[in-house]
Amino acid sequence: MTKQGTAGWLLHDVKNRGITAWIVAALLTGFYIALYFTEAFARIARAVGLSNKWDLYGALYTIAVVAGGIHVIRKYAHNRYQVIRTVVVMIVQITLGFSIPQLLKVLRQPEYYFSYLWPLKLDYFNPGYLFSLPLPYILYSFAGSLLLVPILGLFFGKRWYCSWICGCGGLANTFGEPWRHLSDKSTAAWRFEKVAIHSVLIVTLALTGLLFASYGAGKRYPELQQATIQFQTFYGLIVSSVLAGIVGVGLYPLGGTRVWCRFFCPMAALLGLVQKAGRYRIAVKENMCISCGMCSKYCEMGIDVRAYAQANESFTRASCVGCGLCAEVCPRGVLRLENVRGAAPQTQMLVQITNAPGGGAFPPARPN
Amino acid sequence: MRYVIVGNGVAGITAAFTLRARDLRAEITVVSGESDYFFSRTALMYAYLDRMTLRDLEPYEREVYDVQRITRRRAWVRSLDTAQHRLTLDDGSALSYDRLLIASGSSPRRADWPGLADAQQGVVTFVSLQDLAQCEALTPSTRRAVVVGGGLIGVELVECLVHHGVEVEFLVREPSYWPVALKPDEALLVEEEIRAHGVDLRMREEVARVKVDAAGRVAGIQSSTGRATECQMLGVCIGAQPNVAWLGGALDVGRGVRVTSDFRASAPDVWAAGDCAEIGRILEQIWYSAKRQGELAARSMLGDDIDYRPPLFYNSAKFFELEYTTVGEVASAPSGSREYFHRVPGPRASVRVVEHEGAVVGFNMLGSRWNHRVLEQWVRERRSLEAAVADLPRAQFDVEFGRVRVTA
Ligand SMILES: Cc1cc2nc3c(=O)[nH]c(=O)nc-3n(C[C@H](O)[C@H](O)[C@H](O)COP(=O)(O)OP(=O)(O)OC[C@H]3O[C@@H](n4cnc5c(N)ncnc54)[C@H](O)[C@@H]3O)c2cc1C
Ligand code: SF4
Repeated sequence: MTKQGTAGWLLHDVKNRGITAWIVAALLTGFYIALYFTEAFARIARAVGLSNKWDLYGALYTIAVVAGGIHVIRKYAHNRYQVIRTVVVMIVQITLGFSIPQLLKVLRQPEYYFSYLWPLKLDYFNPGYLFSLPLPYILYSFAGSLLLVPILGLFFGKRWYCSWICGCGGLANTFGEPWRHLSDKSTAAWRFEKVAIHSVLIVTLALTGLLFASYGAGKRYPELQQATIQFQTFYGLIVSSVLAGIVGVGLYPLGGTRVWCRFFCPMAALLGLVQKAGRYRIAVKENMCISCGMCSKYCEMGIDVRAYAQANESFTRASCVGCGLCAEVCPRGVLRLENVRGAAPQTQMLVQITNAPGGGAFPPARPN
Repeated sequence: MRYVIVGNGVAGITAAFTLRARDLRAEITVVSGESDYFFSRTALMYAYLDRMTLRDLEPYEREVYDVQRITRRRAWVRSLDTAQHRLTLDDGSALSYDRLLIASGSSPRRADWPGLADAQQGVVTFVSLQDLAQCEALTPSTRRAVVVGGGLIGVELVECLVHHGVEVEFLVREPSYWPVALKPDEALLVEEEIRAHGVDLRMREEVARVKVDAAGRVAGIQSSTGRATECQMLGVCIGAQPNVAWLGGALDVGRGVRVTSDFRASAPDVWAAGDCAEIGRILEQIWYSAKRQGELAARSMLGDDIDYRPPLFYNSAKFFELEYTTVGEVASAPSGSREYFHRVPGPRASVRVVEHEGAVVGFNMLGSRWNHRVLEQWVRERRSLEAAVADLPRAQFDVEFGRVRVTA
């Protein structure tokens, strides 16, 4: 049933793939198509005193994060992890994601986004562009991607980036909040995820390699340079525009909020591998789960959290962005995000109440 | 070997999976009248609250039953013939077994207030999928509802009705909320929480008479204090009783199916587990016990030597936003116990630790999260009250940055 009254109906409809959800998705998708492939927004940008359409997009993006963030903070006011995380996400977007790059431009510095790192931001490892920057930016690019990302990832999991810093995750966890439960939880979706996200990572690594090769030897091999430029254009169209923008955000109301992060983002793929080797995990309180399914339903990454919780298994999944919503919605307080040394599996699975051999034999609902 | 299980609740399904894990060749059939697939009864309220769809309540993907080769049969079992090893189903067909597990759960206890029998519409319980469908059908035409019964299910139904904009009057017979588990100072927090959501909670009040309109729908009640109040829905949440009536005289039945400590009922090749089983006079009627019993009963059916003693009690619940964890004995602790109680200033939260003869025996925690396994460990270690209280932060399970300060 749906909540009563017109407002109740609308709220339910837009959150549950009703007609209004399709309309919102069409509008969002249309917005991205117009943004990427036309100059329609350039005029509006100039009209409001911004220099180009991307600045306008940045401003709108920031407004969406802040407005959604305020909603999220009010909704989860009792949960300090959510409040602090959301405040950080909003501040990062306002500063590193918008005003600092604008300020840099005014100061005649490169328009550099410190919250975006390679491999999410390919340009920052594109030697042609990178080496045109002043030295501090070059050092930051290298240190950020090669040191900060893996080291913090080992200690805190990918969440330090995906749920605290990244603008894509930031938008998903604020503006996207009403649609987080739409992610596909099926095993089929999981299979697709594993193939898709690692494929994009490989393509990104290959392209990065090509960019360096072409930077070094492009003068001697013009074909290489030509091929690299074509590859780069293709990547920009498919990965950055279609997958990150149109599919990633445009389809929020139909496919959920983290479609880009879950299936395609090369940064998430890399951090996921780091996370598997690191300290982060979701701890499951033993024998307290009532299998209600709230955790799985509200997981934006489509992880079937319940499958682990009802089997009493603490776990680390590569895709988990550590948003902490499973722990928030769990009515029995079964789950907690933790950074612990070692894998630390839970011991003493069931109170020893029998003298029989064997012990708890549950079929895991899913392969591991 | 033909295993038949009556009931696809958590006890029945856990048993079926356990049987399959150990006996790859067995024929396993699960018969149930309520639903085609196992669903989480504990999550009924989240469906009513629109936070989940019915499909979301199913803890396993549907393919699992094929993969595990578990035959599902949607039917009500009408009778059991233990001599012939045979069940009769409501479509008239018979189902034979070599070994039978009865996991038929429980159903709501009925009230017998004057006038109730005349109500053809508007009286609801909140236990089955059919109850949920009925509640959902009635909600749009309900402006005011009365819910009776101060336990865990009553407050869930109340929360759902409030969510849908229904004005709720909540009648509780006892002087304080849920006295079998909560002490009066704790009940006060729960009562505050319920009232904070706009519910008209009335303690020490019961239904004396039910009023019905011309169409046979509930129109109001008269309470035990003589007060008359209007309502279009009457929720009855006054406890659960094992589903054993269908057994006729086939088995030894007390309040539930009487079983020994290896889950065997009084007839050969029949076991029982979950809400419907009575073990040494004890009915353990919660999710955790049903899951545990389902697994152990299956192992007993497989020939393992099982000697079940209900372990240290623990449970958790949520009253609107107020979370609750309990371990051991608190309200039921023997007289002469010492205790530590602290009402946390600020948020609605409290901790209570109870000690008897120098060893902690129970915990009641409201408004913050706890790892019950650590608390259980302290009971087993026979820790003193002081040692337990000093160590409380180690058992907390609140979210990061969100640990509630529970000691003064
Ligand atoms: C609203 C609600 C909320 C709850 N919340 C909690 C909670 O938070 N924590 C907790 O620990 N416990 C909770 N419980 C209790 C918990 O759900 C039960 O203890 C548990 O489900 C019992 O499982 P079971 O397998 O024994 O029986 P059931 O889940 O009752 O399953 C029995 C099945 O057998 C079927 N059946 C019965 N008779 C027949 C027949 N003659 N023929 C065919 N089929 C038959 C029924 O249709 C039913 O599907 C809650 C209960 C309710 C109703
Ligand atoms: S939300 Fe909590 S109780 Fe519900 S299935 Fe998930 S872990 Fe279990």
